[in-house]
Formats: sequence, structure tokens, C-alpha cells
Amino acid sequence: MSSNKTSRIGEEIWKTRVDKVNAELVTLTYGTIVAQLCQDYDSNYQDVNKQLEKMGYNIGMRLIEDFLAKSGVGRCANFRDTADMIAKVGLNSDTLKGARIVDISQVGFKIFLNVTPTVTNWTSDNAQFSLIFEENPLADFVELPDDGRAQDELWFSNILCGVLRGALEMVQMQIEAHFVSDVLRGDDTTEMRVSLVRYIEDEMPPEEE
Amino acid sequence: MVVYSFYIFDRHAECIYKRRWLPRPTSIVGKSRSEAAPTGLGQTVRSSDDDSKLVFGTVFSLRNMVRKLGGEDDNFVSFTTSQYKLHYYETPTNTKFVMLTDLKSPSMRIALQQIYINLFVEYVVKNPLSPTEHPGGVGVNNELFEESLEQFVVCVI
Repeated sequence: MSSNKTSRIGEEIWKTRVDKVNAELVTLTYGTIVAQLCQDYDSNYQDVNKQLEKMGYNIGMRLIEDFLAKSGVGRCANFRDTADMIAKVGLNSDTLKGARIVDISQVGFKIFLNVTPTVTNWTSDNAQFSLIFEENPLADFVELPDDGRAQDELWFSNILCGVLRGALEMVQMQIEAHFVSDVLRGDDTTEMRVSLVRYIEDEMPPEEE
Repeated sequence: MVVYSFYIFDRHAECIYKRRWLPRPTSIVGKSRSEAAPTGLGQTVRSSDDDSKLVFGTVFSLRNMVRKLGGEDDNFVSFTTSQYKLHYYETPTNTKFVMLTDLKSPSMRIALQQIYINLFVEYVVKNPLSPTEHPGGVGVNNELFEESLEQFVVCVI
């Protein structure tokens, strides 16, 4: 699918079919969750990252259904298509903007922000790429804790990695996603690295007797 | 037209929802194995559990065959036997919707899609308390969904 077409779909759905919510509400809610986690884990940021990722995973698994229902897209034939779809449609209209919907399984929300990250840095085997976020509503107004460690250890928006992993797992792609840089840490860009682990085969029904 | 039954299978090949509207007349007892010789109608009393497994098996094999012949994006829409018509819709997340109707019914593909978008996603997936996975076939246990499905089938179809 051409990237023009995908961005049009994203724009269209975003305009007409997504319930919007004040972005600051999202930012503040998310910030509160991260802050609470940092407290709960005694500022063990590795654990906080892990927990955020897990929350995202649970969100992603549900979010994908809503995404598919709204966009009506078919299967993505290959990983490149998928990258395009995530960036243009997914993140633009669906995955990231003014939060909506409460999904309390683990955390309690679903996000749809209005951001179009750039897809770049493909590896030659088409199995890895980077998403570069020009803006990130989750990180508005945020300053990382000033304890000398958070700057190096905490990935504030790590929930997004989980969302992506959960969502793609539902469409038969097992991926690994992690942030490699974040403007909050003083880097120039916010970059998420996404790599394809494998395509998940269809599951067979369990053998009878 | 008459709707006989309706099934949802999740990506783990688990039947997460089934619903039958009419008591099965003896003439369609052999429905999900009409490929086999339909001799001795009603000779075995199969439970609805067996029914759903048979339906899944049929749909699963047929789908794989269609994909082999027509490419990855191909999918079958329905098939007809002398007794019933089976309608099929699959989402990219591998959730399968199957509906059995009588022969006179038009294509139900859109209807199944509507059920997915307006009922399944809205009431089941977005329900924070309902699990995303259904190990052991607990399935969709959701009044809102069932009521709306009932209404949808009675009114719209």
C-alpha cells in the first residue's frame, strides 16, 4: 500500500471516527501512572520499564481490534507495509492521540495520540526499523526525576513499546520494541527501534483424543 | 431467511461463542460433514461442542486450501450445500466468524463484519473485565453482546 494512501486513511479516520479527549488529560494521567510506578518500585527503573511495557502489551492486544474495526484494513502482507501502517494510520489516528476508553485489565487506558512518527533506518533484510517521534504527547510537561539514575535508566514512554508488541502479536507478528533515545534524556530525537522476531504461524486446533 | 447458528473462534482455534437459534431439524443433522457421505442421518447424537469443532475444522481447512490456491490474501466468503449455507468472515487478528443460514439468504459477509465491528469490538474487546484470551474455552460471557446479537439477527437480518 502506498504511503500516501495510508496517511490519507489515517487522516480520514482520525477526523471522523475517533472520539477525542483533551490531550492534557492523557498526559497528566500517564504521568501519574509512571510516577506511581516509580514509587511502587522504589525507583528501580528497570522494573518500571518492564511494567510499563507489560501494561502497553495488554492495551495493544485490545487496541488492535478497535484499530482494525475502524480502519477496515486487511492483513499487512509484509513487515514494510506494516511499518508504514503503524506510522501513518496507527500512530496518526489510532494508536496515539487524546486518550479514550478505559481498559482496566492492567493499567487502565487506551491511547490514541495524534502523532506521525517517521519510519527510517531499515536494515537491509527488512526486519528492523526505527520510529522517530517528532512530538510525543505522553511526554509533554515531563521532567525526569533528578536522582542521577532516571536519566540513564527510565524510558518514560515505554508503554508505547508494549502497545506495539501487543497489537502486532495479534496480527501474527512477534516483534521486539525498545527505545534507543528520548528527548527527555537530552537526546536529539525520540527513537524507538522495532525488530521483527518472527511471523506467528496459525494455531491448529488441539488434536482430538 | 433463517439463521441456524453462529460461531466465533479466536486465534487459538478456541470456540469462544456459539449460539443456535433453531432446534436442529433432523434433515440438517449431517450439516457440518456434508462432504462425507450423508448416510444415516442423525445416527449419532452429537453435542453442540462437537458441532463447533466440526465447523472449525471445515472452515480452517477450506481457508488454508483457498489461500494455497489463490494467494495469501484470498479468502472464501461462503459455501453452500443442499441443506444450508455457511458464511465466513475472518479478521486480520485471526478471529473467525461463522454463520449458518438457510439457502435463500444473501451474502452475510457484511453482516458478519458488522457483528465484529459494532458488537464484538464494542462490547467484548472493549470490556475491561472480559479477558483477551480465553484459555479452556471460557468464551464470551457477556450479556450486552448476546442481547445485541439477538436483536441484530432478529431485526436486521
